[in-house]
Formats: sequence, structure tokens, C-alpha cells
Amino acid sequence: MIRFLHLRKAYGPTVAVADLDFTIEAGAVFGFIGPNGAGKTTTIRLMTGLLAPTAGTVLLGGHDIGREPEAAKAITGYLPDHPFLYDKLTAREFLRFVGGLYGLGGGELERRAGDLLAQFGLAERAGELTETYSHGMKQRLALAAALLHRPRILVLDEPMVGLDPQGTVALRRLLVELAAGGVTIFLSTHSLHVAEALCDRIGILDRGRLVALGSLAELRAAARRDPVDGDGSLESVFLAITGAA
Amino acid sequence: MSGAPSLLWLLSPRLLGARGALRRGRAKPLVLGALAALFWIACFLGFERTLAYFQTITALGPILTQRLLVLIFASFFAVLVLSNVVTALTTFYGAPEVNVLLAAPLTVRRLHQVRFIESLVASSWMALLFGLPAFIAYGVVYRAGIVFYLGVVATLVPFLVIPAALGVLAATAIVLVFSARRVRDVLLVASPALAAAVYLAIRLLRPESLASPSGLAGFAAFLADVGEPSPWLPTTWAAEILIPLLGARPGEPLFHLALLASTAAVLYLGSAALVERVFLRAWSRAQEGEAGGGRDRVLSRWLPKLTAPLGRPANLLLAKEVTVFLRDPGQWSQLAVLLALVVVYVYNFSVLPLDDGSPLAAAMREMAALLNLGLAAFVTTSVAVRFVYPAPSLEGRSWWVLRTAPIPLAAIWRSKFTIGFVPLAVLAEVLVAVTNRFLGVPPGLTAVFMATLLLVVAAIVSLGIAFGAAHPRFDAVNPAQIATSFGAVLYMMLCLALITVVVAFEAWPVSRLFWPPVAAGPLGGGESALVGAAFGTVTLVTSAAFVAGRRAGLRYLAALEP
Repeated sequence: MIRFLHLRKAYGPTVAVADLDFTIEAGAVFGFIGPNGAGKTTTIRLMTGLLAPTAGTVLLGGHDIGREPEAAKAITGYLPDHPFLYDKLTAREFLRFVGGLYGLGGGELERRAGDLLAQFGLAERAGELTETYSHGMKQRLALAAALLHRPRILVLDEPMVGLDPQGTVALRRLLVELAAGGVTIFLSTHSLHVAEALCDRIGILDRGRLVALGSLAELRAAARRDPVDGDGSLESVFLAITGAA
Repeated sequence: MSGAPSLLWLLSPRLLGARGALRRGRAKPLVLGALAALFWIACFLGFERTLAYFQTITALGPILTQRLLVLIFASFFAVLVLSNVVTALTTFYGAPEVNVLLAAPLTVRRLHQVRFIESLVASSWMALLFGLPAFIAYGVVYRAGIVFYLGVVATLVPFLVIPAALGVLAATAIVLVFSARRVRDVLLVASPALAAAVYLAIRLLRPESLASPSGLAGFAAFLADVGEPSPWLPTTWAAEILIPLLGARPGEPLFHLALLASTAAVLYLGSAALVERVFLRAWSRAQEGEAGGGRDRVLSRWLPKLTAPLGRPANLLLAKEVTVFLRDPGQWSQLAVLLALVVVYVYNFSVLPLDDGSPLAAAMREMAALLNLGLAAFVTTSVAVRFVYPAPSLEGRSWWVLRTAPIPLAAIWRSKFTIGFVPLAVLAEVLVAVTNRFLGVPPGLTAVFMATLLLVVAAIVSLGIAFGAAHPRFDAVNPAQIATSFGAVLYMMLCLALITVVVAFEAWPVSRLFWPPVAAGPLGGGESALVGAAFGTVTLVTSAAFVAGRRAGLRYLAALEP
């Protein structure tokens, strides 16, 4: 479960995230969408402990990211929007390093890393430096690293960017499987059709404020869009709510 | 905008960036300006003194003046060619903004013009800055008129264009033959290694001897012995333009200027023609990565085992840092510089004239022993600025990996501190122990120095992490760029102040306790208290610096936003 408690982040007079206060139930796939510069990535950085909030906090699996950061991070996997890796490490070395940071080691880590490398189609090039990888390969490796310690919460920032169509389909399947296994997924994306297909609930962020929250049906109702008219897609709902339609 | 964009338009991102940087920081240009001014004055005085001496040698004066000028141009030329090759590899075949230019409706010729100017400015401004005091000294000593200074400008323009064009030609040829990444790696190592070798060579020539009239005479004899400069080299032409303008002797300045300018023009057009013909092919080749095998690497097998006793996360971070260090040629080059620094340091103490039994030698020995503490600490700072200070920046955009892992920030700081402190402390202790042996310092005094150095190094490393995190450079291609940034200069200055305080407080008590001429009698009650207070102050100051550095380090690391 993820709980946002009056989370706020301001840079001087500029408010990047304003008073986010809502809950995502365990095992849910939550879609977090919004226009460019709405504050999605800032929210994610606050959730994962990469940024300190101006006020409020986030509870990850009941652990306050501000007060018990280690406990909160231990159950969370994170995929950033631009997964910069250590260029001079190989994929296998990178997974060993990350696994070690999460307390994994020995045969268990080797097996898990091997399985994930195979699952993400990286086994053949696991001994190459990541500086030689394409963006999509780095994305897959970062995702493998995020899943290495079997997290209960997965925070994904634009995971589909840079993936080929096969990769996108595989990731969608994986997310469904993980959610079915009880993993809470926080998915920030610009791919509205992906959010529409995968997410139980969706939050729309605009200029730092959560302007809509609910299932697609609830959002449609809020935007007064009727699916029978063929105008009830998440895209039209999104445009109506953010005032861009 | 209609038609092809102008050169100025294409250069505007760089110009606007420079203007923005100047507007943002007020202290930065001030500090850098003060340092540059100090360097200028020192260079100017050195050249002025040498040239004034040459003027006193009536028969050889003009020849020596010309030879020294050729030597100056030749040194610049060598440095400029090398730095232009490295810069051209980046500006033409490595910089991401080339993608933007390639995608824009620009001719390759225009692209060459823009990148050529950027390459020329990036690799020449420093040589120009450091070279100007020499030319001004020539003008002042020979009481030259405005024509000489105009001649300097007219000479420097084609003189700088030649290595820039050679750099573009060489970079293009190299990229077509080898992988750009491999070449850049080799040059990244070669450039500082060459600089270190030149530094060593200059030091071993004992330039301090030039301070005495006999030393200057020796230098004059050396210049006179150097053969007649080749008439085929641009360095000779450049000197031949300026000598007559100084009035040192008659010559043909216009002819040599024409030679220099036409060579520059031909090389520039040659580089344009080559780039126009092969740019896309060379650019495509430069984007090819280094292919590697699928096998596990040797390092990853034994490093984790070796570092295991350190415990998590220090062992993981150390294994990672060592692996990255060994695979990053930008880091190896730092080792060459470090080695040169240490060799020169130890050499300096080995050649001090301390054994001639004169009162001057005895006084020098005493002073050198006391200063040795400060000098060893200063050398350690120079190493820290190259290895500890860049650490937060080198973590760079991968910082999220550590920050989202369940490790306290304090543990990350501790690991960084240990990785910096252990090798630096060993270096400082060995340096002071070895050089104190050369000086014949009593063992007790050496022990005090070694204990003090442990405190000082701890403070230096702690401050290094703090300053490195406060002034991160995530855009830097190699650690040398980070180590020469504004924050690094501030860090060096603060460390220097700390070292000065430590040496000032320890000077009297260590002399009183250990140095035979002063330590004649037992300590009185008042003296004991003073000695205790002095050592206490040193401990307090270094501990305070360590704690302040740690606090600031943790604060800035927490706020680090790649």
C-alpha cells in the first residue's frame, strides 16, 4: 500500500507538488498521468527518497520514507525515466552491485540475476559494459535491477519509453502478473492507452495538483464523457480534465 | 529566419551559455581572475628578468631573444596540437549537439565552420592566456611600439589556426581508422601523462638555478647551443615576424607573416575539404561502441572476495569504485600526474643543500622540517582534489541507484570517506617519513608530524566530499575537468588555510620539544601549558573541520540532484 500524506514540494515560490493526499491499495496498478511539467517525476522522486519534501510525507508499505527510509526502500523497486547506469560495469556486475545493496548475495543473487537477465533478453550480452547498450537495453536492465529483490511496491517512471513493441507487450504482461501476485504498481506514463488497459485507478496531475482520481469510469463521470458516444477514452477524459480539449 | 543561418546564430547557444554563466556567479570570475592575475604577474616577471639579462650580452643577445621566442612558440605549438586533436575529437565526433546540427538544414561546410571555431576557442584560450605575459614582457623589455603588439595579434591568429586545422585533420583521420572512444581514451591518458613528463623534465632541469646570475648564464648557454631553428616551421616564422618588430635585429616580418597566414589558410581549407568529403562516414564510425565478449570479467570474480571483510555497503562501493577506476582511462591519467607530483616532491628534498655545514644550511634544514608537515599536507590536498573531490560528481546520474537503495546516507558517506582516507593517509605518512629521513629529523618529531597528518588528512577528505557534493559537475567527461573547476579551487584554498593554521600552531611547540638548538632545557610549567594548548588547538581545528565537512557533506549529498 502507498499513502500520500499532504505531500508538498516547493522550489522557492514555485510549487511543484501541492498537497497530494490519497491512498493506493496493495496489489493495485495505479496510473499517474499529467501534462509535461505537471510534477509527476518530482512526485516520484519524493516517493523514492531522491528528494526531500517541503511538507507531508509518503508511506510505502506502512513505512514513512522520511523517517524510516531504509525500511521503505527495502520493499520498493524503482525505474527512473532516464535509467543512467554505471557505464563501466557489465550488466551482470551491475545486478550484483544492486543486489548487494538490497542485502542479497551468494547463489541466490546469482540465480535471480541470471533469471532476470534471461527474462529481459540480456543474457547473451550480460558480460558487456553497459556503455555499449542501447536505451531500450538499459531500460530493461534497470527494470531487472528494480525487480531483483522482489519488491512489494514498484515505482515506474515512463517505463515504455525506449522499449520496442515486443518489449512493451512483455512489460505489460509482467505488470499484470506482478499485480496479480500482490505487488502495488505506481505507473507514471504518457501512454494513455497503456494506462487505460492496465490501471485499476488513475490519478491526473496538473500543475502540481491532483485534479482527478478514480477508476476510468469515475473519471469519465467527472469529465461528463459518455463511452457510448465514442468519446469516453482516457485520452478525451484527460484532455477534458486538464482543460486542453 | 530565411536562408542558411549565420555563423553567429549557430554559435549563439555557446555565447548565451557563457553569458549566463558569467551572470550567475559573481565570486567565481573574481577568484579565477585573481588567480590568473597572480600567474600573469609571476610569468611576466620571469620573462622580463630573463630578457633583460639577454640584453646585457651584446654579441649573443638578439640570437638568444630569437631562440627563446622560438622555444615559446614551439612549446605552445606542441601543446596546442595535442589539445586540438583531443578537442576536435569531441567537438566534431563526440558532442551530442552535433546531432542537432546534422539534423538541421545545414551544409557540412557550415557545420565545419561552427565546430572549427568552437574547437579553436576551446583549445587555444588557455595557451593564449598563459602566453600573453611572455609577449608583453618582450614588448616592455625592448620598449616596443604599438606595431609590435599589433604584430603579436596578427601572428597569433594564423598561429592558432594551424594547430586547430591539424587537430581537425588528425581527429578525422583517426576516427576513420579507429573507434573514437578508444582513441579518446588513449588521448585522455596521453595528454596528462605528457604534461606530467614535461613537468618532471622541467623540475629535473632545476629551474630555480635561473634565479642566480650563474643559472641565467647557463640557460643562455643552453639556448645558444640549441641549433639554428628550422626555416620550414611555423614556430620559426612566428618568431621571425616579431623579432624585427622588437627592433632586436632586421628581418622580413611581412614575408614570414605571409608564410604563416597562407599555411594557416591552406590547412584550414584542407580541413574543410576533408570534413566536407567524409564527415558523415566519420561521424557514423565515431558512434560505434566498443564490442565486448559475453564472458564474465576477471575483476568481478575476485574483487568482491577481497573487499568482503569491509562489510556492506563499504565492500560493494569499494569493489564498484575500483572496477570503474580501472576501466576508466580518464582516471588513469590522474595517476600519472600524481606520480610526477610525488617524485618531484621527494626529489626536491633530496637536492636541498643541507650538508655543507654552513649556518645557512642548518637554518634551512630547520625550516624545511617544519614546512614539510605543511607541504606533505598540501600534496595530499592536491591528490584529494583529483580523487576525493570528483567522487560525488563521478557518481553522477547513476546516483539514483545508491539513493533508492535501503542504505543510510551516512553509510554511503562513510564508504566514500574510507575509500578516500586510507590511500591518502598512507601517501601522506610515507611522504613525511621519507622526506624527514632526508632532512635528518628526530624520530619523535616525525611521529608528531605523522599523527598530525592523520587528523589533517581526515579533515581534507571530509571537506573534499562536502565541496564535491556542493559543486557537482555531472557533465564532465573526465575527472580532470572536475578537479579544475571553481569548487575545486575554493576547496584547495580552504585546505590551504587549514594547513597554514595547523603549521602555525605546531611550529613553536615542535621546535621547543624536538629541535636541539631550542629544546635545550626541560619545559617550564607555563611552557607545558602552552605546548598542550597548541597541540589541543590543532586537534580542535582539524576535528572541527572534519565534523563540519561531514555535516555539510551529508547535507549536500542529500540534496544532490543529477
